[in-house]
Amino acid sequence: MTTSPIWDICIVGSGAGASPIAHQLSKAGAKVLVLEKGPWLTEKEFFKDELTISIHDAYNPKLNDEQHVIEEEYLDENDQPFWQGEKTSDSGWSWWNGNVVGGSSNFMSGYFHRLKPVDFRLKSEFGAITGANVADWPISYDELEPYYAKVEREVGVSGRVVDHPHQEPRSTDFPYPPIAELPMSSWIDKAANKIGYHAIPVPRAILSKPDMGRRSCEYSGYCSSYGCSSGAKGSGRAALLNHAVATGNCTIKANAKVYKIASDSKGEITGVHYYDGLGRKKSVSAKIYVVACQAVETSRLLLASTGEKFPQGLANNHGQVGKNLLFSGGGTGQGDFIFSELTEKKVAELKQVGPFINRALQDWYQINDKAFTGANKQGQAKGGTIDFLFHQNPIARARGTQWASVEDSHESGHDKLLWGEALKQSMKTEFTSYKTLRFEVFNDWLPTDDCFVSLDEDVTDQWGDPVAKVRIGYHEHDLEVGEYLSLKAEKLLEALGAKNISSSVSGYPSTNLMAGGCRFGDDPKTSVLNKNCQAHEVDNLYVTDGSFMPTGGSVPYTFTIYANAFRVADKIKAHWMTLQS
Amino acid sequence: MPPISSFFDKTYRTPDFLTHKQMKRRAFLKSAAGASAIAAMPVISLSAMQQVQFGELIKTDPWLTLDATLNHLLPSSPTGPSAQEIQATAYLFQVMTVQPTEQEETDFIFKGVGWLNDYANSQKSQNFAPLTFEDKEQLLSGISKSTAGQNWLNTLLGYIFQAMLAPPSYGGNPNGIGYQWLEHQAGFPLPEKGQRFFELPSRARIAVQVQSDNKEPLIARKKNNSQRINKA
Repeated sequence: MTTSPIWDICIVGSGAGASPIAHQLSKAGAKVLVLEKGPWLTEKEFFKDELTISIHDAYNPKLNDEQHVIEEEYLDENDQPFWQGEKTSDSGWSWWNGNVVGGSSNFMSGYFHRLKPVDFRLKSEFGAITGANVADWPISYDELEPYYAKVEREVGVSGRVVDHPHQEPRSTDFPYPPIAELPMSSWIDKAANKIGYHAIPVPRAILSKPDMGRRSCEYSGYCSSYGCSSGAKGSGRAALLNHAVATGNCTIKANAKVYKIASDSKGEITGVHYYDGLGRKKSVSAKIYVVACQAVETSRLLLASTGEKFPQGLANNHGQVGKNLLFSGGGTGQGDFIFSELTEKKVAELKQVGPFINRALQDWYQINDKAFTGANKQGQAKGGTIDFLFHQNPIARARGTQWASVEDSHESGHDKLLWGEALKQSMKTEFTSYKTLRFEVFNDWLPTDDCFVSLDEDVTDQWGDPVAKVRIGYHEHDLEVGEYLSLKAEKLLEALGAKNISSSVSGYPSTNLMAGGCRFGDDPKTSVLNKNCQAHEVDNLYVTDGSFMPTGGSVPYTFTIYANAFRVADKIKAHWMTLQS
Repeated sequence: MPPISSFFDKTYRTPDFLTHKQMKRRAFLKSAAGASAIAAMPVISLSAMQQVQFGELIKTDPWLTLDATLNHLLPSSPTGPSAQEIQATAYLFQVMTVQPTEQEETDFIFKGVGWLNDYANSQKSQNFAPLTFEDKEQLLSGISKSTAGQNWLNTLLGYIFQAMLAPPSYGGNPNGIGYQWLEHQAGFPLPEKGQRFFELPSRARIAVQVQSDNKEPLIARKKNNSQRINKA
């Protein structure tokens, strides 16, 4: 086993939680090493290819090589619940979100809503909820606000501030004007106004004009889960790591899979162990270590990093690592616009592609409605956000056109395969007679004892190391809030004149929106990290991805992960400076 | 279990590769918004040698039957492009020979050819390819009533969709004919040859074999008489 020279900072992972640390510390003069499991791709390797992104999931490991075990709750013959794990190589349900330099931030939608002050004090504000481990954050919105503003500048957020009932306090305006919008955006504005809603422009981590060495959005039409080939999307790679490397102080080691952070008999970290691109075991040491591999893998790494002082895993002597894992509650819904019912002008507007809808509703970010069953005694509950979008993937859209319901009573209940002229007609109708407007609801996924990460005792990855086992229990309250918000969104679709309106709220986790597992807090018995995201039990260990969140808020996580990582970067910088003197 | 001998074999069970494909992706918040102008589209997808090879192969089974089946599933007509026009057989050939496709799937597709011809011979006393349109229709309707037959046809239909709507560099959809017919605006850039999903720089693929003993499925898989608690 070889040992490399000492680095100032060693970061495991390279996504939204890691890249601000690399950016800020390398600019401050620290020698930074970033270890990333995946390859280092650039804009030249991202295409609008549905086969790559959706069908073959080509930026992620093959599930036979690396996977997870997912535990779901079932009922036995006597209606008694039990938890049963299933390997994702058996289910086909991948839990990877982009194993490349820059991580999943390469493939985010970039809906950059801030958290609101209430998100930092859910327990104080709404009280405890039975069966949920709700806790206030040890910091306030005011402490994070300057860092949201910093992300808007450094990563590049395009948007427009409008007055609305739940507008959070802001110290600055958006540094970039909004990206171009579709006609649907003004349709939504009008319909919302008509029924007393406040549609708000969605801030996006997408450059609306060239800056910082990156091109502007080119409106290629496929954004969201696709990698950006113009550099406009504010991935950690495009926005931060490229600049970090340009300082001469940051080294990115791609194809480096970290499997253990070793510690000695005094409980001090002795080094980070990884497999290099050829599968050889290597190790490095640094003055300060930062873990940011996305919530599930961060907990897995700490749990796997046992040592004499940490028999249950690094920084886990109180058994908190992996606990209170979070996803996003909510669901999806949709409504169709039937071309034959609309004017030519409207149809032409609907058919436009390229720009974005960029509209959201946050009227019920806090629910104040005694009729809501999930409310506390004061009729108050935490609500959430509704975003609107169009889907684009054509192969996914074609799937299903080959099936026809059999009306014949003899075969009733069965679907029949179509081919020939019937198939052609079915495909043509599917693609050219209507367009579906969709919405996504984001609400809090309450932390519970039934949602956590542990190490699987049997299943290992291609290197022979135990994989993460994830129990995915959810709280009933999440569904109640999700359904409440979905009904509100459905009303907007009605006002827009959409048909076939429906929504679906379920307790299945959104695997691309994960947080928690290494809570920050003031009490080492109930949290893994202190308010600076430094491990209570290990002085030179920080966790800077979404793992720190005790509660997740009701917006996608990436913006807050970025903002918190910039905040923690200041703490690490101060820590590093003390080690210099 | 003895090998499956026909589409109507009662011991047939849906192969794992199909079960995985049929499973809905539950990462429901992953989505793609927007779209834009049609990009430049290359026509050629197979190398010259592959084209020669394909030209010869298509004259004999199993490709003769696969070509005939695909052409029947999406026939030539004024209403829209045919399997031939979207190069569905060339696309499938590429899936079976160039793309990394699971062996279980390619085996299933080829086995189906044998089962279809056995059935054609039992019903019409000759192979599928030379039959009339009506006879072919009757046979495909016949096999579609079996699970295996439905799975096989559905697999081919899935590849027709890909041949129609995947970037042309994969071998189908020449000059974006499928996009044009379905009024779909492709995104850009589209991948060229050398940039397709299986040609991108991959992450470390470790050739170590020491974990092979650990790769056995070790957890109980069957959940007889149980169901997920449905709270939705």
